[in-house]
Amino acid sequence: MDVFLPIAQVFVNPIEILLLSAIVGVLSGLFGVGGGFLMTPFLIFLGVPPAYAVANEANNILATSVSGSTTHYLKNTLDYKMGLMIVIGGTVGTALGIYTFTYFKGIGKIDTVISLAYMYILAIIGTLMLVESLSEIDRAKRNLIVKKKLHVHYWIHGLPLRMRFPKSKLYESIFTPIIIGLFVGFIAAIMGIGGAFILVPAMIYIIKMPTKLVPGTSLFVTIFVSVIVTFLHSFNFGSIDLMLVVMLVIGSIIGVQIGQKLGEKIDSSGLKALLAILLLLVGIAIAYETFFAEQTEKEIIQVLTSDLNFFSLFILEFSEDMPFFYGLFSIMFAIFLGVGAALIRKFFSSLRKKYALKAK
Amino acid sequence: MSFSIIKTVKKLSNFKVTFIKTGIFVSLAAYWGVILVGTFITFG
Repeated sequence: MDVFLPIAQVFVNPIEILLLSAIVGVLSGLFGVGGGFLMTPFLIFLGVPPAYAVANEANNILATSVSGSTTHYLKNTLDYKMGLMIVIGGTVGTALGIYTFTYFKGIGKIDTVISLAYMYILAIIGTLMLVESLSEIDRAKRNLIVKKKLHVHYWIHGLPLRMRFPKSKLYESIFTPIIIGLFVGFIAAIMGIGGAFILVPAMIYIIKMPTKLVPGTSLFVTIFVSVIVTFLHSFNFGSIDLMLVVMLVIGSIIGVQIGQKLGEKIDSSGLKALLAILLLLVGIAIAYETFFAEQTEKEIIQVLTSDLNFFSLFILEFSEDMPFFYGLFSIMFAIFLGVGAALIRKFFSSLRKKYALKAK
Repeated sequence: MSFSIIKTVKKLSNFKVTFIKTGIFVSLAAYWGVILVGTFITFG
């Protein structure tokens, strides 16, 4: 049973999309990484054109990061001041990224650029993760404890315009978070990812934020970056397909909850090597598609407007007639689903606690 | 068990570890080789 995506103009199997986004969600919840760098390649493999896969995954990331951020807001583990500084850089980076995206789209090379960017990013993260997890396993076997330096200073710490960040107990140059945000915003716009895999290590090792504030602040930044990316993609290219977004959001929100629960029960550090291998395999699959697979002419699907159902027709007309409001609607829709998921989770968590207390 | 057998077992286990490490290193090198050569060929 295939469903026609009115904006992306392709047929997809909704069960496949729901299952894949749920699996990626489980991995995200389990390992604390964003799922964008896995889900976008999966969408491309399923036949969604790369330019559409990037835009719709950004909208999905918005929903999941709103959901995660609301949970951290309720726990008070967020540094807004630091987050806003990163967002300033992220806004500029996103604008630059969209400009670059428009340039490559204009010369007809955007699909190759996205594939290459994914291939290299997956290769780099996969290699680093594999090497790190293998050395961790090696160290654990030999019972070795590695002493780390308390403070390592890079050139970035010598930058001017220092500011106090009371929540993180830091006195840091405002340029440090801005430069990091700039980089994250740029790659988020081109690749449709949240950028947590860059943001989280940068916050811990470069900014030196307390670890408990890192996930919440990272998700807070991701909200703003993905809002800008979603809006600009929707307004400039009309590439947000709400039909696809609904499937992605439902799958990933359920998956993330399962992954977080699993993460509380099992030690995921041993599984890190497996995730690294998965990333490398996805990278090599993209390499095969880009370099070696025979370039086949894609079948042009002609679906008449009269054949579309009410929902598809509404999406198509809404995006064509009012692109500005369609962009705003897709953002509000993702935020609503994200907050809803967080509140449902809180409700069930307090309900379980209540029953546990009664049982005692 | 005699001392020489223990020594041989230890040596074998060390050999296994070295073999796995070399395998991983060679696979990673091949992986990077494929994507770098592929990129050069595509753009060449």
